[in-house]
Amino acid sequence: MTENQKLRKVIIDWLDDNYHFGDAEGLIDGDDEKSFLQSGILDSLGFVSLVLFLENSCNVTIDRARLSPENFDSLGKIVRFVVPLPNYQIDPQVFGLVHE
Amino acid sequence: MSFTNIEFLFFLPVVFLLYWLGPAKRVYQNFILLAASYLFYGSWHWQLLILIVAGTWLDYYVSRKFADESTDESKRKRLLVISLVFSLGCLGFFKYAGFFATAANDALQSIGIQNSLPVLKLILPLGISYWTLQRVGYVLDTYWRRIKPADSLLDFSLFVCFFGQVAAGPISRGSELLPQLQKARTLTPQWITAGCFAFLLGYTLKAFVGEILGESIVSRAFTSPELYSTLYLWLGVFAFAGQVFADFAGYSLMAIGTARVFAIELPQNFNAPFISRSLPELWRRWHITLNRWLFEYIFTPLTTSKGWFRSRMDLGLLIVFATSGLWHGAAWTYVCWGLMHALGMVVQRNWDVLYRSWCRRNRAFVTIRKSSVYSLVSWLLTLLFFVLTLVPFRAPDMQVAVNYFKGLFQSNGAEALAISPLVVLSFAFIVGMHLVEINPLHRLKDFYLKIPPLVRGFAYGLAVALLILIVPFSKGTFIYQQF
Repeated sequence: MTENQKLRKVIIDWLDDNYHFGDAEGLIDGDDEKSFLQSGILDSLGFVSLVLFLENSCNVTIDRARLSPENFDSLGKIVRFVVPLPNYQIDPQVFGLVHE
Repeated sequence: MSFTNIEFLFFLPVVFLLYWLGPAKRVYQNFILLAASYLFYGSWHWQLLILIVAGTWLDYYVSRKFADESTDESKRKRLLVISLVFSLGCLGFFKYAGFFATAANDALQSIGIQNSLPVLKLILPLGISYWTLQRVGYVLDTYWRRIKPADSLLDFSLFVCFFGQVAAGPISRGSELLPQLQKARTLTPQWITAGCFAFLLGYTLKAFVGEILGESIVSRAFTSPELYSTLYLWLGVFAFAGQVFADFAGYSLMAIGTARVFAIELPQNFNAPFISRSLPELWRRWHITLNRWLFEYIFTPLTTSKGWFRSRMDLGLLIVFATSGLWHGAAWTYVCWGLMHALGMVVQRNWDVLYRSWCRRNRAFVTIRKSSVYSLVSWLLTLLFFVLTLVPFRAPDMQVAVNYFKGLFQSNGAEALAISPLVVLSFAFIVGMHLVEINPLHRLKDFYLKIPPLVRGFAYGLAVALLILIVPFSKGTFIYQQF
């Protein structure tokens, strides 16, 4: 499994665990570019929670200046944005079991 | 001049013809729209046009400097501070100076010091709350290098003052509107039909639905709530929910429609808010552009910062909704309204956190959450809460708001409000607008949109002609324009 695929799974698990209880993959429906905010997958509160979760669980710092929906509003965008960040490493404890 | 003034009926076609009959060049099109926009704004109060022009020039200069490689970080910060102090200072001075001076005088009076601060009575520049936020958003986006600054003062001036949105939004992001203004636009039937549809729907909402509910029910109920029975007071507050929706969603649609006839797309401002099943969902559907601004530029930077505010979601919500309340008006009733919503959002968030913990322990809670009963109860509670918070929003002062709240549960009033067929029709119109957003009725909308644009355009033309004959122009003012 590549790092991109791992992070994708972690985010899906987080969405399921915190918002969609098993429906996240269905809501994304194979379209990783689907806008989280526009499709209701995530609201503004959830967006912030996800950012905090990624910072805590992937050992990264996300530049607040780049926290705009244009950069950070779909599964694909988040994965492409977070994986190349310096010091990126998924905490093994969150991989497979995610809680807010 | 306003969208419902008779002057606008002449102004819009003239601008339309000048815009499309001239050369299809960006500079020409933007020049026509900017001249029209300054005329539109100046027709209200030409002296205050200086304020908007000065702010435009300052922010254009500041944003260009942000992108200049020779500008170091400390200078960028200084420029940002200058821009924010100017923009927010003007907003604060014109909108809140009187409110805070009065509040300070009241506080001083309570300790025996009489009228120590002068209370200024200033004219509130039209749309200042909207174009200030739009400019501040743009300046922050360029400061954070989210977007490139506009390279033409003409484009940027139009971005700030476009007459379609200068009076009351929608509040656009730089990334949404500027790219459209930076290229020449082309006329197609789709733009005209989409524009006429939005304008017509907006006008119907404003001129029929909003006015009927406002005049027949709301103004009477809120002027003397003690005269009416509990049942009528409930009708009054639901009618106000309908009126304020019709008024502002109507205005927003007219703004969107006006922009579309110039081949410009403004962001959506309302999306069937009364079908929301939670407060966060409601705020994604009601005054969308203001709420996304508050969350993007206040809530997210605060709660994801490295400082003390990090992860303090409830405090962030309190700040956002207190700001939202004050943004709506310099009065304690609006502050009260904002704080009620802050409290509601905090309760909702903590309920969701608690419920999620139950779901993790027992999957039966997931099933309950996905059930129709849960959805129905959530919808009812959300609607009821929202409607109740509109009491202080509409009441002229806190005393009337308190009396109205009391009357909703016990009232000795005996007078009746006239529920005419037009009132019923107005409510039905709003319900219908929301129903078409729900599956399977959504298909009706899809079917309608498949009708050829030219056929729809012809029908809109007829409808506009009918409206012009039937609806009196210059009727009423937009509630949200006063903010």
